[in-house]
Amino acid sequence: MIEKYGEIIGESELDSVYKIAEKLKGISVLHVNSTPKGGGVAEILSKMVPMMKELGINTDWKVIRGDSEFFNVTKSFHNSLQNGVGNLPPSAFDIYNKWQEINSSEISTDYDVVFIHDPQPAGLIRFKRKGKWIWRCHIDISNPYPPVWEFLKRYIELYDSMVISSPVFGRDDLKLQQFIIPPSIDPFSIKNRDISRFTVERILRKFDVDPDRPLVTQISRFDRAKDPLGVIKAFKGLKRHIDAQLVYLGSPASDDPEGNIVYQETLKAAESVKDVHLLLLPPDSDLEVNAFQRGSDVVMQKSIKEGFGLTVSEAMWKRRSVIGGNTGGIPLQIIHGYTGFLVNTPEEATHYLIYLMRNEEVREKIGESAREHVKNNFLMIRELRDYLMTFALALQGK
Amino acid sequence: MTKEFLDAKARQPFEFYAAYYPPIYAGKKALTIEDLIDGLRKVDGFSVFYHVFHPVFSSHVIPYDLHNDFAFWIRDELHDPSLAYRVSDVEAVEPKTVEQVREDIINILEESDNKNKGKPFHFNTCRPVVFDTGIRAHSIGELIDILSNITMRSIVYHLVFRRVMGYAETNDFSAWLIREFQADKVAQSISMLDPQTYNSEEKLRSDILSTLEKVIFS
Repeated sequence: MIEKYGEIIGESELDSVYKIAEKLKGISVLHVNSTPKGGGVAEILSKMVPMMKELGINTDWKVIRGDSEFFNVTKSFHNSLQNGVGNLPPSAFDIYNKWQEINSSEISTDYDVVFIHDPQPAGLIRFKRKGKWIWRCHIDISNPYPPVWEFLKRYIELYDSMVISSPVFGRDDLKLQQFIIPPSIDPFSIKNRDISRFTVERILRKFDVDPDRPLVTQISRFDRAKDPLGVIKAFKGLKRHIDAQLVYLGSPASDDPEGNIVYQETLKAAESVKDVHLLLLPPDSDLEVNAFQRGSDVVMQKSIKEGFGLTVSEAMWKRRSVIGGNTGGIPLQIIHGYTGFLVNTPEEATHYLIYLMRNEEVREKIGESAREHVKNNFLMIRELRDYLMTFALALQGK
Repeated sequence: MTKEFLDAKARQPFEFYAAYYPPIYAGKKALTIEDLIDGLRKVDGFSVFYHVFHPVFSSHVIPYDLHNDFAFWIRDELHDPSLAYRVSDVEAVEPKTVEQVREDIINILEESDNKNKGKPFHFNTCRPVVFDTGIRAHSIGELIDILSNITMRSIVYHLVFRRVMGYAETNDFSAWLIREFQADKVAQSISMLDPQTYNSEEKLRSDILSTLEKVIFS
């Protein structure tokens, strides 16, 4: 699996991964998260764990257990950490602690490095017996709801180090080392690998999208943080100049009651705008995502709050010009004017939509730089190397 | 004569190591020039190395017309291109260390009356993860052959990192050339390259090679 990256990043870059891994041969590493599939973390771990094993690191992945009450608590933790406002169920902290204790008795953590992903299993640190413990935070914690952050912080401070996705999420109120490791995409997955023009067109036509007319796409949940109404507004502005089409592709989220409300709001906003396709597809529609990204002239990710926004890198990898919200981890991916365009308002988005639609050579130039930027920074092999280095530094002087 | 010079065997081969520098949040942000000065005074030398020298790597994309992260932020967030260019072009030629570069940047910033506020500059620091590439050069000819295709991670480690961080007084290549061959002129030509003005690793490589070629075949 790792060898395949040689064709993309070159032999010497690949060789460095093996050289760094040599220092770690024989160590044991445990990843812990809260779901075996669905969501970005599980998607990354499903590739990362076999790659680490391939490098001679004894790697295991375990998933914590919890009932609906526990996952309601952790979901409200997640929202309140990202949005700065809280709506916690009663006894939230007790419920959280109870399940940490249950999981600690069921999951053996006797490893050299224990890598805990996200807040759901973070409290397991209370039961640490050996090894170096690293907390991997995949979400934006720059402006958390204070009661939840204060609760969680007591656990985080017990870790040996932590990992954040972008320096903008760095916490000044923590003493432990905060490594910066952005997430990454798998270029060989169905979502990202090359597909034929025929497949692209077939899928576009299947959803009544005309492959011969200009197309703008945003792939996002129906979530206010992704600014679907702003996307409709920006497209409306474009439509005054160019006869384009918009696809907004999201997945229904049964555990997110707000998703349907936002979908209905978006539907209403799009009522009077021609050529808007709001698509609700199953969460595993990877081939469709791939096709819509490749079939688009411009891809948008107009978020107003974003943990990282890997759909940006996905589209950039496909040499698309991306217009992204100037927030969270998006500016790490989009260097304004070089690898895409950053916007703060729907009007700015309209401006760059028109600019890019009218200038094919700009789209091509941006697309090439975008691909190169992703190749150098946001492929899974880089994230693997970063994790190895974090382990090496954590174990120094153990 | 040149042939003998290039093929003469060293007593000790040059051992090529390489390094990556995983970024770590340094716990400081700046919103203004004043904050940037304050941060620069307080962060460790690895942080100065990261923001000033790390941009040579192609993985560290900054706009091509600026050489370091501070300059990029000053131009884009504080809207002060003139100051940005001065900070971008700070000198770091041998024997300057990160401490002297830090002082020079602070001096430039202190002359500014810019009071603008921008989105925060986040200070990162780093720790090197060094590994042995297993590659060895036994002669000057071999050194040059290897320099033309070894990973830039190795070249920057020996040419820049160890010297600017104070682990060595001069870059490792020049030190080896003098120690093994008393090749002062060749060594000096490498020492005169200012690594901080590069933000393309392949351009740095080609300049090293053409500099060596000029001296050796002149």
